[in-house]
Amino acid sequence: MAGRTLEVLIVEDEMLLAIELEHLVEEVGCHPLGLAMSSDEAVAMAESLHPDLALVDVHLSDGPTGVEVARKISSDCGGVALFMTANVKRLPDDFAGACGVIGKPYSEHGVKTALSYLTYCLTEGHVPGPVPMGLTLAPAYAELWGLDDVLPKIA
Amino acid sequence: MDDISDTARDAAQAARSPEDLEAIIEERTRALTEALEQKTALLHEVDHRVKNNLQLISSLLLLQNRRVTDPALKASLRGMLGRVNAIATVHRRLFQSEDVERFDVSAFIRDMVADLMGSAQRDDIRVELDLERVEIPAAKAAPFALVINELLTNALGHGFPEGRGGRIFVGVRRQEGEFRIEIADDGVGLDKDARPSGFGLTIVQLLCQQLKAKSETTDADPGTRIVVLLPVNGAH
Repeated sequence: MAGRTLEVLIVEDEMLLAIELEHLVEEVGCHPLGLAMSSDEAVAMAESLHPDLALVDVHLSDGPTGVEVARKISSDCGGVALFMTANVKRLPDDFAGACGVIGKPYSEHGVKTALSYLTYCLTEGHVPGPVPMGLTLAPAYAELWGLDDVLPKIA
Repeated sequence: MDDISDTARDAAQAARSPEDLEAIIEERTRALTEALEQKTALLHEVDHRVKNNLQLISSLLLLQNRRVTDPALKASLRGMLGRVNAIATVHRRLFQSEDVERFDVSAFIRDMVADLMGSAQRDDIRVELDLERVEIPAAKAAPFALVINELLTNALGHGFPEGRGGRIFVGVRRQEGEFRIEIADDGVGLDKDARPSGFGLTIVQLLCQQLKAKSETTDADPGTRIVVLLPVNGAH
């Protein structure tokens, strides 16, 4: 699995954010599959393109539909969703099946570090170390990727 | 709110039985709860917009930075991006904590240092932190953050030209009626050629004036030490 290029779908209705995010995705060695601005677009693209990772904003052009998009992608499309939102506190407790969240406003370095970290998690099946600043893992994924095993080392 | 209490008072006067009174209290509680929920929703909405707009501003700067080739212009855009990031870090921190009125200085510095050091990609520079937990009013958080951002950026960029590694120390502690913030490096020092950018220095001077803070730069031999003294209760 090492050296695999992650295919990434960007679900974001702010065009400038989406385009810049696409650059960052490329810079960390992932392959951007495209941009979706509404929930319908996002689900259609996820169903046909099968992204490994979908970066999902909660507020899309058709309303606060990002949560349902994430749920659909992780349950029906075999992909992993990652929220990117300014409203971290309002996500459901189960993260709608998503692997975690990057809070807005994020920094260039914050996103790149988080994407590299998740690339490792997705290809190796476990975390490379403590979660980098700016990224929060969903409880289910923290367990799946053995985050608890690395925590005692920094405590 | 006046409407609610007036209505309740009128209704209470008209009430004849405990059952009536109970119904009135129930109704009033419901109205107040609704009003509070509306206010909370509004606060979340504003917070959400502030954060999204900050993200939009930094995306604009990043996108333009990709287009320009002139190194001086690139450096200016990078500088502005750093300043916007400092303000963005403030907003992330403010709404993460339960208390939106107070701002945790040390937690902020930890975030800033992690982000600046991470994006500088200078493994040859070691950072030492000695941070006491101190808080300042949220209203002062943005100017304070901008000052710290300039000082850290200067220490990184001017103290350590490519190939020259070393150490940066950041200390925060309470000292009598002041907060003492120290940023020291063992870099090349106050060399005439390596003077920090004029604009960055102006920002520090103006904002220290605004914060009623004193800033002192001394030769750390080797390197530079800057101490900012911020009054705990507004003035010296």
